[in-house]
Amino acid sequence: MDGEKKTYGGCEGPDALYVKLILSDGHEFIVKKERALTSGTIKAMLSGPGQFAEKEADEVHFREIPSHVPSKVYALCMYFMYKVRYTNSSTEIPEFPVAPEIALELLMAANFLDC
Amino acid sequence: MASFPPRVNEKEIVRSRTIGELLAPAAPFDKKCGRENWTVAFAPDGSYFAWSQGHRTVKLVPWSQCLQNFLLHGTKNVTNSSSLRLPRQNSDGGQKNKPREHIIDCGDIVWSLAFGSSVPEKQSRCVNIEWHRFRFGQDQLLLATGLNNGRIKIWDVYTGKLLLNLVDHTEVVRDLTFAPDGSLILVSASRDKTLRVWDLKDDGNMMKVLRGHQNWVYSCAFSPDSSILCSVGASKAVFLWNMDKYTMIRKLEGHHHDVVACDFSPDGALLATASYDTRVYIWDPHNGDILMEFGHLFPPPTPIFAGGANDRWVRSVSFSHDGLHVASLADDKMVRFWRIDEDYPVQVAPLSNGLCCAFSTDGSVLAAGTHDGSVYFWATPRQVPSLQHLCRMSVRRVMPTQEVQELPIPSKLLEFLSYRI
Repeated sequence: MDGEKKTYGGCEGPDALYVKLILSDGHEFIVKKERALTSGTIKAMLSGPGQFAEKEADEVHFREIPSHVPSKVYALCMYFMYKVRYTNSSTEIPEFPVAPEIALELLMAANFLDC
Repeated sequence: MASFPPRVNEKEIVRSRTIGELLAPAAPFDKKCGRENWTVAFAPDGSYFAWSQGHRTVKLVPWSQCLQNFLLHGTKNVTNSSSLRLPRQNSDGGQKNKPREHIIDCGDIVWSLAFGSSVPEKQSRCVNIEWHRFRFGQDQLLLATGLNNGRIKIWDVYTGKLLLNLVDHTEVVRDLTFAPDGSLILVSASRDKTLRVWDLKDDGNMMKVLRGHQNWVYSCAFSPDSSILCSVGASKAVFLWNMDKYTMIRKLEGHHHDVVACDFSPDGALLATASYDTRVYIWDPHNGDILMEFGHLFPPPTPIFAGGANDRWVRSVSFSHDGLHVASLADDKMVRFWRIDEDYPVQVAPLSNGLCCAFSTDGSVLAAGTHDGSVYFWATPRQVPSLQHLCRMSVRRVMPTQEVQELPIPSKLLEFLSYRI
C-alpha cells in the first residue's frame, strides 16, 4: 500500500476515464468523463457520429470558448462535481454559490452546454 | 369541482414524505377558539423553530434537536418537555451555550411571529459550518410576536426574556417581518389598515406609518435586498413600497378577493401572492406582470364567484430557498408543492385545517400550522438546480427586470433571465 505510485487512466479509447476539453486558444483541461457528461452538449459531442468527436482520443474542441475566462471553466468543473455528487443522493444539498461578476457569462456557457 | 387541471391525473402526483409532527398538548377547553396556530417561523440561521401553540403561548424549539427527535422517536412528538429529551448537559456549566427550548406566555392570542437577527441573512446563509454555533453576546436573535390587542412583544430567543413592548397598533397585528439585512428593522401589518416600521436598534422607535390600505392588511414581506416591501390585504390589495423613501411604488392588480399571503423569491425577481380567490399568482415585482398562475380549483371560478365564499381559499404561500419551488396551503385539505415552470403541483400532502406554512432556512423541510395548534413537517422536493438557474439567481439578485431587458444577449436567454419561460 505504501509507496504505490498512482497512475491515471488515459483519454483514449471508448472506456477512457477522462476526457480532454480543448478551448479555442489551445488550452486543454482534463476532466473525469463521468462529470463532464453532466453537460448535455458535451455528452452529445462525445457520442455523436463523425463531426464533433475524434474517436481515437476523447477530446472535445470548443472553438467558441476562449480561455481568458479560467474562473468560469473552474466554476463549470466545480458544478459538474457538485451535480454528480448530489444527484440521487439522500444527503442535504448545499448551496452552490455563483459570484455575480461571472454569473452572466457563466449563464451563457451553461446555456450552451445545456447544464 | 376539481382540485387540479383536467389534464393532470391526481393519482399520479407524488405524495410528499412526512418528517414529523408537533402536536399541541390537550387543552382543557378543546373546542373553544384561541387554539389556532396562526403562524410558524424558522430562525434565519436555522437554529430555532417557533410556532404559536394557541392559548396565547409560543413555543421555541432548537431546530436541529427537533429534527433529531423526529428521526429517533418516529414521527409523532407530543410537545411537553418531558418527552423532548435535551442533550447531555455538561456539569461545568457548558449547558449555557446549548440552545434551549422555551415556552413563552404572551398574554394574548398570538397572530404573527417573526425572527430577527443582527446578522444579515446573506451572511448567515453562506456560512454552512457555523449554522449550529451560537455566538452568545455577539449576535442578537430576536422573536417578535404580534398580538390580538395590537401590541408587539419582542423576546430574546436565547434567554426567553421579554425585551421590548411596542404599542401603537389599535387592532390585531396580523403579520410581522424583519428586514433581511440585519438592521433589525421590523414591519408590522395590522387590521387597523396600516403598516408600521420600527427600529429595534433604537429601542423600538416607530419610524414610519405606511398608509394606503382601505381595509385589513393581512401580510407583508421584504425583498431579499431589503429595498422593497410587499403588503397584501383585503379588497384585492397588493402594494409595493420603496423602503428607502417609504413611498408606494405601485399596486399590483389581478386578484379577485382578499389577498392573504405574500413571499419574495430568494433573488427578489419573483413575488408570490395567495388569495381567497383560489389562486396563487407569481408576479414580476419590477414591472407588475403576472408570470404564472397556480390554480387550486378547476374550472377556475369566474370573478363573481371568486370574489365570494368558494370553499377553496388559499391561506398561505411560501417560496423555497432554491428559488424554484413554491408551497401553497388551501382549504381543500392539501398542501401543494409547485415548480415555477409548471402550472400543476409536483407534489402534494394531505393537511386538514391548515393556516400557515413556512420553509425551513435550508429549504429542506416545510412546516405547516393548523387550526388545533399543531405543526406538521414534510420533506420538500429537492433536486440539484441547473447551473443556468443558479446563474440566473446570481444575476437577478443585483439586476431588476428593466436592466435585464437591456442586456446584449440572445432573446431566449433574455426571456430565461426574466423568468418568462
